[in-house]
Amino acid sequence: MKYLSLIALFALLFFAACQDDDDPVQTGDIATTIQFRAEYDDTDLAIQSATYAYPTGAELKATLFQYYVSDLTLIAADSSEVELSEIELIRYDDATADNIEERTYDVPAGDYIGLRFGLGVKPELNALDPNNFAADDPLNENEFWNSTARYVFAKIEANADLENDGTFDTGLSYHMGSDALYSIVTFTGSFTLDGDNDPQLIVTSDVLKALSDGMDTFDIADPEKQRVHGGNQAVATEIWERLAGQFELLIQ
Amino acid sequence: MKRSLLLSVLFTLFVAASCEPDEPVVCPECPPDTEGREVTGPSEPTDFTLEVPDYMPRPVLDEDNPMTVEGIALGRRLFYDKIMGRDSSFACADCHIQEKAFTDGRALSQGVRGENGRRSAMSIVNLAFNSNGFNWDGSSEQLWEQAIHPVEDMLEMDEDWERVLERLREHNDYPERFRAAFGIDHTDQISQELAIKAIAQFERTIISADSHFDRFFYKNTEFLTEEEQLGADSLFFVEDVPAGVLHPGCGHCHNKPSFGDNKFKNNGLDDVASLDDFIDLGRGEVTGSRFDNGKFRTPTLRNIALTAPYMHDGRFNTLEEVLDHYASGGHGVENEDPNITGFPLSEREKVALLAFLRSLTDETLISDERYSNPF
Repeated sequence: MKYLSLIALFALLFFAACQDDDDPVQTGDIATTIQFRAEYDDTDLAIQSATYAYPTGAELKATLFQYYVSDLTLIAADSSEVELSEIELIRYDDATADNIEERTYDVPAGDYIGLRFGLGVKPELNALDPNNFAADDPLNENEFWNSTARYVFAKIEANADLENDGTFDTGLSYHMGSDALYSIVTFTGSFTLDGDNDPQLIVTSDVLKALSDGMDTFDIADPEKQRVHGGNQAVATEIWERLAGQFELLIQ
Repeated sequence: MKRSLLLSVLFTLFVAASCEPDEPVVCPECPPDTEGREVTGPSEPTDFTLEVPDYMPRPVLDEDNPMTVEGIALGRRLFYDKIMGRDSSFACADCHIQEKAFTDGRALSQGVRGENGRRSAMSIVNLAFNSNGFNWDGSSEQLWEQAIHPVEDMLEMDEDWERVLERLREHNDYPERFRAAFGIDHTDQISQELAIKAIAQFERTIISADSHFDRFFYKNTEFLTEEEQLGADSLFFVEDVPAGVLHPGCGHCHNKPSFGDNKFKNNGLDDVASLDDFIDLGRGEVTGSRFDNGKFRTPTLRNIALTAPYMHDGRFNTLEEVLDHYASGGHGVENEDPNITGFPLSEREKVALLAFLRSLTDETLISDERYSNPF
């Protein structure tokens, strides 16, 4: 009986010792958060509360910045791909919120060499009407023009003080989107996901860099260029191209 | 043997007698039975799937309040029953009248005391498509939470929830209905949460999607008149026009098929010196942010011809006044929606736009027996 107790105690100690308490490296799925960070001229975007200088001398208060991300995908070291999400709507419209939108996905542990997404609604989804989705789905009717113009891929809205008289009384509203504008954004950068000090993946976008690249600046004083909705996409093509070209991936 | 038999019989009698229910103890000083009376009857609610026309969005699911046939039936009675208001004299339906697309025809809602509330009673159609809070300011995140406040508000139903629950528990019909909807066993299980969830289940069934416009655009069974067509194509659904030069298109915020995006916006009503000067802070009262002051929900325009007066405070008596307001272009307050830019509007265009807006009236809604008073 005495030996039996000792054997039981030994067995308990043995199994307790087998507990993995100091080796967090995982081989299964890793909960991975991607931050989408919005900026204006390399500073955190603050909806409504901040006054931003515009290159033409005007000042802006941003009221809305949003864009769709299609087929958000991680590219593995062996060139295989892990699709994280088919569609996301990244939106900054709340004066009480910060400039970071987060999405968390279960990602297989492993080595990765890049990230890719489509800016806008990919053509397969852009062909579907909002009635195919729940009213709270990213592809809801509020982001849909009509059966010909389809979904609004990105919106930038602001109120401008063009005369520098302290009143932000000129509305700016740039709504962009069409299959022709759909753009693939690809980043390269190596990182490992194993559950142990995984890196923070941050996708940054800058409203000012969409409106001005330092050389060319969108003329917000021109009444013809203060509202772009639906059919006059040609007016905003330069905004769209700059928007698609200014994303950055930070791996921290 | 006889003795053993006698003992066995006595023992059996004793056991049988002990199985009889105890006699109630008469005790006037004792606290009331905390379990209430036992409720019997059917207690297995029937799942209900909300069917909506295929041109509408799919309804937003509320996992905290699954819909059942019995829950909806109970909610409909509670919605129309004055038992919910002070001294059983005021119902939800007193401010949400079916014939007025579930509004009350007043600028400001009027409660049981005859005093005006702070805001206009909102239409409660198509709430199943709303995922952005409820009320003009989004102060209730869930639909069922929304029903708590009006009962208690002294400017609305002005009743104590405990008294409402007391009446429901003592009612000769409601306990069985609560059991059928939620499976309760005793009357004390009738709670505020169950009552408001039942009301919300009923409200979610109120779908408005059978207007003249729907029959034209989605069902292809009717035609728009020339005026309605002008209002739709040239004004309401216009997209690409320069700011201030032509009508910018109401559809930006009131897109079909819901005709209201449920977002919170300052639509240029008040000319205030600063964001701190709005009389009604609206969304700002909920978020605590001055940048949200003066913002209110974009409501649906479905049945708009039935829901006058207009805006959160009912300041406009007619749709003509509403159009004049938007044409004037707001006041340049810094948190105004950038799409409030003003536009020229001829008399012909105004008539056309009004004709189109009237095409959004759902005549079947206002007489649909599923939504009517069950008493």
